[in-house]
Amino acid sequence: MKKTLLVSAAAATALTAGAYKLPEQSVNSMALSAAYVAHTTQADTAYFNPANMAFMGEKHYFDGAVTLIHLPSNEFVSIPPYAGASETENIVVPTMHYVSAPTGDFRWGVSLVVPGGLTKRWNTPYQKLYAEEFTLENIELNPVFSYKINEQLAIGGGLRMVYSKGVVKSDGRGGTPYPIAREMKGDTIEFGYNLALAYRPAEDVNMAVTYRSNIDLKEEGTANLYLGNVGSQYDATVTVPLPAALNIAVSKTWNKTFTLELGYERTFWSTYKQLDFQYAQPVTNPVLKQAFDTPIPKNWKDTNTYKIGATMVMDKITVMMGFAIDETPIPDETLSFELPDSDAKVFSMGFRYQQTENLSWGAAFLYDSKEPISIPPGVSDNALLKLTGASFNGGGAYLTTIGLSYEY
Amino acid sequence: MKIRFAYLFIVVSAFVLMGCGGADSLDQPPKEEVTGGEVAVDFSAETMRNILISEGAIPADYNNSIFGYKAYKIPYETTDEEGNRVKVSGLMVVPTGVPETMKQAGFSLVSDSHGTIFANAEAPTVIAETTNSPDGAPIILTALGGFVTLQADYIGFGDSLGHYHPYLLKSSSAATTVDFINAAREFAENNGIPLNGQLFVTGYSEGGYVAMAALEALEEAGDPVAFAAPMAGPYMLDRMGQAVLAADTLPVPSFIANVAYAYALRYGVTVDTLVKEPYASALPVLFDGSKARPEIDAQLTHVTADLFTAGAISGLTTLDSNYWFTQTLQLNSTAYYPGLQTTTRLVQCIGDDVIPFVMSTGTATVMRDNFGAADIDVIPVEVAITGDLNTSLRLGHAECATPAYGVVSKIFSDVRRATIGY
Repeated sequence: MKKTLLVSAAAATALTAGAYKLPEQSVNSMALSAAYVAHTTQADTAYFNPANMAFMGEKHYFDGAVTLIHLPSNEFVSIPPYAGASETENIVVPTMHYVSAPTGDFRWGVSLVVPGGLTKRWNTPYQKLYAEEFTLENIELNPVFSYKINEQLAIGGGLRMVYSKGVVKSDGRGGTPYPIAREMKGDTIEFGYNLALAYRPAEDVNMAVTYRSNIDLKEEGTANLYLGNVGSQYDATVTVPLPAALNIAVSKTWNKTFTLELGYERTFWSTYKQLDFQYAQPVTNPVLKQAFDTPIPKNWKDTNTYKIGATMVMDKITVMMGFAIDETPIPDETLSFELPDSDAKVFSMGFRYQQTENLSWGAAFLYDSKEPISIPPGVSDNALLKLTGASFNGGGAYLTTIGLSYEY
Repeated sequence: MKIRFAYLFIVVSAFVLMGCGGADSLDQPPKEEVTGGEVAVDFSAETMRNILISEGAIPADYNNSIFGYKAYKIPYETTDEEGNRVKVSGLMVVPTGVPETMKQAGFSLVSDSHGTIFANAEAPTVIAETTNSPDGAPIILTALGGFVTLQADYIGFGDSLGHYHPYLLKSSSAATTVDFINAAREFAENNGIPLNGQLFVTGYSEGGYVAMAALEALEEAGDPVAFAAPMAGPYMLDRMGQAVLAADTLPVPSFIANVAYAYALRYGVTVDTLVKEPYASALPVLFDGSKARPEIDAQLTHVTADLFTAGAISGLTTLDSNYWFTQTLQLNSTAYYPGLQTTTRLVQCIGDDVIPFVMSTGTATVMRDNFGAADIDVIPVEVAITGDLNTSLRLGHAECATPAYGVVSKIFSDVRRATIGY
C-alpha cells in the first residue's frame, strides 16, 4: 500500500473524539488523552480552559508542538471485487498557544490549533466510487480572555475563527459498472465561540466546565461531475459541522506531585443530519443528479467520551498517562467509506522535561484503538454496504507529539 | 522577549493562515476539441464491459471484444420536403479502445435510423447530451460490433426542433440520412477517425422505412452499400394505411394521426379533411416535440371513425387511386422502387404486433418479383435467434428490437470479416 506524507497545517482525521474532531492540541493534552481541562498548566490552557488562565503565574507562556499522525489502512473485508483497503496516511499537524501576563484580573491568550479534520482515501474500485478522497482540513485561530472573579472562581471565553478547506473525490470509472465521478474543492472561514468556567474549591482541587460552540463549515468552491469521460463544472457548496462540545472535568492533586483528572465530554454530533452538496447550476443529467445531487442522510448522534489522566511531577521530569473511552457518532445505517469510524479506546503517555527555569520540552504518544466494524447486509443506506454488509478491520491512529514550552 | 513571542505568534499564525490560502482551484473538466461537432458520451471499453456484465447483457466471462463508446453530436444541413435547407443534427458513435489492426483497417459505417419518436427528448443527440450515457442500438452495433453507428435525429427533432417532422415522407427521410452519412464522413476525416469506406444501412420501425428510403437514394447517388437490413418498417404505406383504417379501433392512434398531420402539411391539405375535430386542431400542439407517445395517445380517441373522417377512411380502405392521400402514400412507399441492387434482408419478428410480418414478406416479394430487386429476402428474427425454422417463439414489435439488432449486427460483422478482414 502506497504510503504518503501529507505536510499540512490543517489535516487530521478520525481521532479521539470520534468522527473527525481532534481534541488533542499539545504535548500535555496528547499525553493525557485530552483529560486536560480542569488541571491545565501550560500555555495550552488558552485552548483547553481559558478560565484557568486566571490562575496561572504572572508570566507570559508560550507553547508550540508538532504532531505526526499515522493512520493505518482500513481494510474492507468482502468478496471480490468488493474488498478493498484505504490508503495509509501520515499527517503533520503544528499547534501553538500563547498566554499573556495578567492585566489586573484580566488576561488574554491565543491558540492556533487544528480542531478537527478528515483524510480518507481509497484506491480500490468500489471504495473509490464512494470516497477516492475525502479530506477536510481545519485550522482555528482562537483568541481568548479570562477574568478572575475571586481566588476560587474564574471565567473565560473566546472567539473561534476557523479556516476550513475540503476536497471530495469519488470515481467509479475504473472497475465498477458505475462510470460516475465527482471532484470538488472548496473552502470557507467560519466563526464560533467558546466559554469556560474554572472553580477551585480547594487548593488541590480544580473543577471546570468548558463549551465550544458548533460551527457549520460551509465549504464553497467548484465541483466537476463526470459521466464517463464527459464532465461539467458547477459552483458548489457543502456544509459539514464542527460540532459543539461540552466538557466537565475535575482534578485532584496530592502533595503537589500527583494529579488525577476525570473528564466527561459530550459532543453534539446530532447536528449532522445530512451531507447535501448544492450546485449553483441545475444538474440535469439524471444519473449524476441521483448520484451527486441527492442529500445523503447522516443522522449522527451525540456522543460521550470518558477520560482519565494522571500527571506525576518529579524534579525536572513530569510524566503523564491517559486513557479514554470514546463513542462513534455514526449509526450503522449511515456509515460509509469516507469515514468507517467505530467506538474506540484511547491510550496515551508522555513526559515533559524542564530544561531550564524558562524552557521545557516534551513528547507524547497516543494510540487510538478502533473496534472492528461488523454490520450485517441490509442495514446500511450505502448501496454496496447494504449488499455486502460492512466489515472493517484496521484503522485507528498513532499520534506522536513533540513540543516545547517557554515562559518569561 | 515579551514582544518577541507575541510577535512570533502573530507572524506564524499569519503565515499558516495565509499558507492555507484559498482552496486549490479546480480545473475545468478536460474537453476534447473536435472539429464540426462535440463529444456527448465517452465510456471506456472497461466501463462498457462492466456495465454490460452488470446489466446481464453479457456473461461475466464474455470472451469477445467489448469496445468503448464515444458519441459525437454533429450538426449538419439537409433538405426538407419543401426543398428548403434545414439545420439538423445527428449522433455518431465511434468504438474506442480498439486493436491497432482494426484502426489500420478502418471502421465500417452503419447508418441506423431510429424508430418513431414524438418527444424531442427521445432524439439520439438529445438523449446523449442529456444523459451522457450510451443508449439504444449503438450499444450493440458499436460497443459489441465495433461499427461506427450513425443516427440522424430526423427533421423536427434535435437542432431542427420546431420544424414539423416529415413522418414517413420519403425524400426528406432519405435526405436526412444520406446527408448525415456524408457529414459524418467529413467529420471523421477532420478528426482522424479512420473509416474504411464500407457502409451498411439499417433501421427499425420508422427507421426501417427511412433506411429503405436512404438505400434507394444512395443507389441513385452511386454510393455503394455493402449490405442493407431494414427492420420492421412500413415499406408499403398505402397497404399499411389501408389495414389500419379498416380496423374499428386504433391501438396506437398517434402513429396514423402523425402520418395524417405530416402529409396534410406536406401536400397543402387542411388536416381536418383527414382528422376530425376536435382532434385536428390539437395535432400541432400534440406533435410539437414536447410530448411522448403515451401522452398523445391519451388525448386522441382510439375509435377509428371518431378520429378520421369518412372520406379518409373510405378513400384509403378502398385504395382509391384518385384519392390524394392514397396517391401520396403510394408515392412515398419504399417498396415500389425499381431495380434495387444492394443485397438486402428485411429483418422482422413474425410476432410483430404493430407492423404485420407480412409487410416484410410482401415487400420482398413485390420488390423482387415486380420491381426487379437483385437480392432481397426476409429474415424472421425468431428463427434467426433460435435456429429453429419451426420455432413457436413470437416477439412483439417493441421486444423484437434488441434481438433484431443483434441479428443485423451479426450479419454486418460477417460481411465485414469477409471483406475487410476483421
